Amino acid sequence: MSFETKNIRENISLKGSTKIVVEFFEFALNSILFQRAIYPPEDFKMVKKYGLNVLVTIDDSLKSYLKKLLTQVEVWINAGKISKLILAIMNVETREILERWQFDIQIIDEENKENKGPYKQRTDQEIKNEIQAIIRQITASVTFLPVLEDECTFNILAFTDKDAEVPAEWDDSDPLIIQNPEYVRLRSFSTKNHKVDAIVSYRLGFYDDPKR
Amino acid sequence: MKLTSPPSRAKSAKSVGGSPKTPIASQSDLFKIFKSCKKKSPKSIIKKEILKLDVIANDWICPATPSKGKKNKFQCDRFIPVRETMGEPSEQLRIPQRESGKEQYLNSNELEYQEKLAEACGVSLEKRILAFNLQPPSSQKDDLRQLYNQPMKLSTIQFKRRILTSPERVLDAPGLLDDYYLNLLDWSIKNMVAIGLDQCVYIWNADTGGVTSLERTNPSDYIASLSWSYNGDYLAVGTSDGDIQIWDVLKEQKIRSMLGHTARVGVITWNKHIISSGCKDGNIWHHDTRVAQHKVAELIDHTSEVYGLKWNSNGDQLASGGNDNRVNIWDARASTPRLTKNNHVAAVKALAWCPWQSHILASGGGSYDRHIHFWNVSSDARVKSIDTGSQVTSIIWSKDFKELLSTHGFPNHNMTIWSYPTLNKTADIPAHESRILHSTISPDNQVVATAASDENLKIWRVFQNARKNEKSKNSDKENTGSVFGGCTIR
Repeated sequence: MSFETKNIRENISLKGSTKIVVEFFEFALNSILFQRAIYPPEDFKMVKKYGLNVLVTIDDSLKSYLKKLLTQVEVWINAGKISKLILAIMNVETREILERWQFDIQIIDEENKENKGPYKQRTDQEIKNEIQAIIRQITASVTFLPVLEDECTFNILAFTDKDAEVPAEWDDSDPLIIQNPEYVRLRSFSTKNHKVDAIVSYRLGFYDDPKR
Repeated sequence: MKLTSPPSRAKSAKSVGGSPKTPIASQSDLFKIFKSCKKKSPKSIIKKEILKLDVIANDWICPATPSKGKKNKFQCDRFIPVRETMGEPSEQLRIPQRESGKEQYLNSNELEYQEKLAEACGVSLEKRILAFNLQPPSSQKDDLRQLYNQPMKLSTIQFKRRILTSPERVLDAPGLLDDYYLNLLDWSIKNMVAIGLDQCVYIWNADTGGVTSLERTNPSDYIASLSWSYNGDYLAVGTSDGDIQIWDVLKEQKIRSMLGHTARVGVITWNKHIISSGCKDGNIWHHDTRVAQHKVAELIDHTSEVYGLKWNSNGDQLASGGNDNRVNIWDARASTPRLTKNNHVAAVKALAWCPWQSHILASGGGSYDRHIHFWNVSSDARVKSIDTGSQVTSIIWSKDFKELLSTHGFPNHNMTIWSYPTLNKTADIPAHESRILHSTISPDNQVVATAASDENLKIWRVFQNARKNEKSKNSDKENTGSVFGGCTIR
C-alpha cells in the first residue's frame, strides 16, 4: 500500500514538476519571440507570472502552434525522453541560423544525486524565483545579443531518446548548430524532479565578416 | 598500457583524491568519470567553451565531476601530451557531431577509454534530434504590408452579405395557371400583392396579412395579366377574352372595362395614365384611361404573342418582347420600333430596365436560349451577356446592391442573383420545385415575391438593407402616403 501511495505521490510530483517546466517553456519561448522581434510587439500582451510582467502572444495561430508543440514536449518530459529543447532563430530566406536558445532538461536522478552537487528541497517560492531570474535574463539578453536585422523565423528542435514516441509533426533533423558561435550560459532552475539549464548561442562578428 | 600514460593518470589521480592510486583504483575512478560523462557528454563540451564568456559565473552549480578540474588544467596546458596518449586518432573520428576539444576526455588507457567512449557515443547516438516540422505562423509584419498594399476594393468584396436562401413566407396559390405566357403577379406601392389565380384576383395585404379577392361578374375567362397603377389605387386586369379591366381595390369595384383586343392580353404595364397592353396577336396598344376612347396608339411589329412589356423609369421608352424571339424598343410617341434585336433564340418574356442606368435594358430568353442580354439602347449595342443555364422567366434589378435577380424555369427552377456590371453570381437559390413563372419586387426593394407552378407564392428577403430600414423607421411618421420604409410582412 505504502509503496503504491509513494508511487502515486511521486507520479503526482513528477507531473507537477513537468507542468512547471512546460509552463516555463511557454513563457520563455514567448519572451524570446518578443525580445528578438520575431513577431511584432503588438502581437503580445502582458500577463503577470512569476511575479513579473511577462509578454505572451495574442496571435491565435502562434498560440496554437506553441500549444501543439508544448503538449508533445510535456509528454516527453513525463516519459523522461527529452533531454534538450532548442529554439533556433534563422533568416527566412537563407535559412541561416542566427541564434540558438538551448534548454537542457535533466531528470533528477535519485541514485546519482550525490554526484550532482548540493541539491536541496526547493519550495515553490524558490522555484518561482529561479524561473523569474531566467526570464529576466532572457529579457536582459538584448544587451549583448546582436540585432536581428533580417526577416527571421524560428524552428523548434528536441533532442530525445531513440525510443521516444514521435508524432507525425516531428521529423529528424540536424542540430542546427551555429558556426563559430558565442555562448552565454544563463541561469538554471530545478524542481523536485527536473533541472533546466539555458544557454544562448549566437553569431558574433556578424558585421566584421569580410565576406559580407 | 603505454609508458606514456602514467603522467596523465597521475594528473587524474591528483584531481580525484590527491593520492597516488593503484591502476585498478584509478580505473574505477575513470568509470565514475565516464559514467557521469555519459549523461552529460554533449553539454560538457559546451560547458568548457563557455567558461570564457561566463556572464553569470557565480550561479553556475558546479557538478562535482573530477574531470572538470582536469579539463581546466588542460585548457591551461597545451594539448600535445593528451594527443600522444590518445591512441588511434581514428577512434575519435568514429564519433559523430563531436567538436575538436573532445580529446580532453580521453586520457586514460586506451582500451577502457575506447570502450567508455563507445558507450558514451552509444548514449549520444541513441538520442534523436527532432525538429517540429510545422511552420510557425509568419510574422504579422508581412501581413500588414500586404494588407496595406491591397486595393481598397477588396474589403468590400470580402464583406459577406448573407442572402437568405429560404423564403421568409410561403403562401398558397392554388389554381395558378402554369402558363409561361401570362403575367399574374404584381406588388403595389401600397404594399399589396395582387395575384391572378385562374379566374379570380386575390390581393394579399403585406402589411396586415389579410387577403381579399376581387369578385368578377363574368368569370368565363381567366386572368391573363395584372398591373398596379403608380399610386397603388387601381389594378389593371387583362383577361383571356381581350378585356382590360380597371378595378378600384379599396372599394373592390370594377371601375372600367376597356375592350378591343381580339385575343388574350398577356401583359399590361402602366405609364402614368397610359396602359400599354400586349396581345396574343402580336399587337401592342396604348390606352388612355382618362378618356372614353381609350385606345390611343397601336404598335405593330411583333409577329406572335407579346408577353414582355416594360416602360423605363422615365416613361419615354417601351421595351417589348414576344414569342417571335424579338426585343423591340419603342419611343413613347412612335408606332414603329426604334430598335429591334433578334439575338434571342427563344421567347423573350423577361425584360427589365436598369434603375440606375436608364439606357440599359436586360432581356432574358426562353428555354432554348437561356441567355440574359444587356443592351445599351442609346448606342444600340449589346453590352453584356450571361448564359444562365435555365429558361429565364423574369428579371428584377436591385438598385441598392447593384444587382440583378433572375428567376428561372426549366430545368433548374432557381433564382440567381448576379452583380452588375461584373456579372458574378452572388447567389443561387433553389427556389421552387417547378418553374418560377412570375416575380415582383416590393416597394422598398428589399423583398422579392415569386410565384411558381407548384402553386406556391414565396416571399424572399434577398435585398435586405438594414441601413435603409433604420433610416426609414425614423422618417416613417412623416411619410403617410408612400410606404417606402421598412416593409413588413405579416
